[in-house]
Amino acid sequence: MTDELRGPDALAELARCRDEIEQLDRQIISLLARRLALGKRTGELKRLAGLPILDPTREAAVIRRVTGEARDAGLPPEPIREVFWQIVGMSRRVQEAAGGEPSAPGEPGPRLEGRSR
Amino acid sequence: MIIITRPNVTDAEVDHIRERIESVGMRTHLSRGERRTIIGCIGDESLLEGVPLLSVPGVESVTPVLKPYKLASREFAADPTVVHVGGREANASFGGSAITVIAGPCSVESREMLDAAASAVRAAGATMLRGGAFKPRTSPYAFQGLGLQALEILSAVRSATGLPVVTEVMDTRQVDLVAEHADMLQVGARNMQNFALLAELGRVRRPILLKRGLSATVKELLMAAEYIMANGNHDVVLCERGIRTYETATRNTLDVAAIPVIKRESHLPVIVDPSHAGGDAGLVAPLAFAAIAAGADGLIVEVHPDPERALSDGDQSLAPPAFARLMQQLGAFAAAAGRTLGQPSTSTRAVA
Repeated sequence: MTDELRGPDALAELARCRDEIEQLDRQIISLLARRLALGKRTGELKRLAGLPILDPTREAAVIRRVTGEARDAGLPPEPIREVFWQIVGMSRRVQEAAGGEPSAPGEPGPRLEGRSR
Repeated sequence: MIIITRPNVTDAEVDHIRERIESVGMRTHLSRGERRTIIGCIGDESLLEGVPLLSVPGVESVTPVLKPYKLASREFAADPTVVHVGGREANASFGGSAITVIAGPCSVESREMLDAAASAVRAAGATMLRGGAFKPRTSPYAFQGLGLQALEILSAVRSATGLPVVTEVMDTRQVDLVAEHADMLQVGARNMQNFALLAELGRVRRPILLKRGLSATVKELLMAAEYIMANGNHDVVLCERGIRTYETATRNTLDVAAIPVIKRESHLPVIVDPSHAGGDAGLVAPLAFAAIAAGADGLIVEVHPDPERALSDGDQSLAPPAFARLMQQLGAFAAAAGRTLGQPSTSTRAVA
């Protein structure tokens, strides 16, 4: 990629980049759908195995794994952790909806009320 | 509870410590300073009973945080927080060595009026522009602000001058709309304990200017900040704007002591609103000097191109020449406090 692009060329390149971003966003959505579908399945399996839906040890391990992978990929680890706490939280709520025991207050991320104190 | 790590702790050790804490169902917040790294634990601390944290590699000490606010507390951050508004090129930051002055009219009355106010405050050295779009007035019959039209005017003037803008958001339904147009969102004194609004502001990616309620204690102010932070937004600037006392000679009483008290209790920046505190244009300068001397990180001052014709709060607004004089005098107070007065960005291109 060159830094010498002039006005009209730069605009064409910008449009091309935005197309690619749109395609990636679609892939992210479809990957999230697949991840949540697997979450639903694990929710059913946990119920059959008599296990609780909320599994903080597993959630912490997932977050630690993605933190390391983000760092290795040169991504800022803290925002990636936030994104994955959201994903882990969504997955937990899907599992609960699949018929498991509700876990502690739904939202991911630190809470003032709820489980604190 | 906070965990202070050993000086040369590795990323892998930090990850491991956080996993140990999160695997009992708590959350962690990392603050890396120049000299030390702090891992804050959020949630039910009794869950950590029986976890031998001191024997986890990399841990130097484990200290309970007894205050009801955690994320906002001084202990949770390795260094004081610096909040940048409108992108770094805008030169508007709170909590660093520079004192940032926000100035502008109480409410946006028209494009011409805001243009005049913006160019006057910029020429005098203000780094940010204020202007109300939605006005919480004590009387339902008083001018309530221009709403969306004012937001659009603020955006346009921001683009023309390069000054980042702050404006008040009063209602959870307005949050996204205001965040689209403003660089910083203000919570007014009357909404300081509107917890639904605070929670919503935790979800936006814009710094928040949180004003102290008229009858709120410092602790209540910090708990309000904690609400925003606990919901994900850590860019909070606190604002002392006077509290209600038995004194009637001034509109409110500026609680100067609150500035060093907040600095002792919290890592968040603190600014002062000398216009609302005194309710009188003649009191703005002395209160501003006192604020800087007491350690405030900035000021928010009402300036109206023609105070006599202001639709709201004309009595406490400075005319541009008085504001320019104030800015000149502030330099000496900033220097005496070991600070500098922030300068507006030379770039006039649109920020944010």
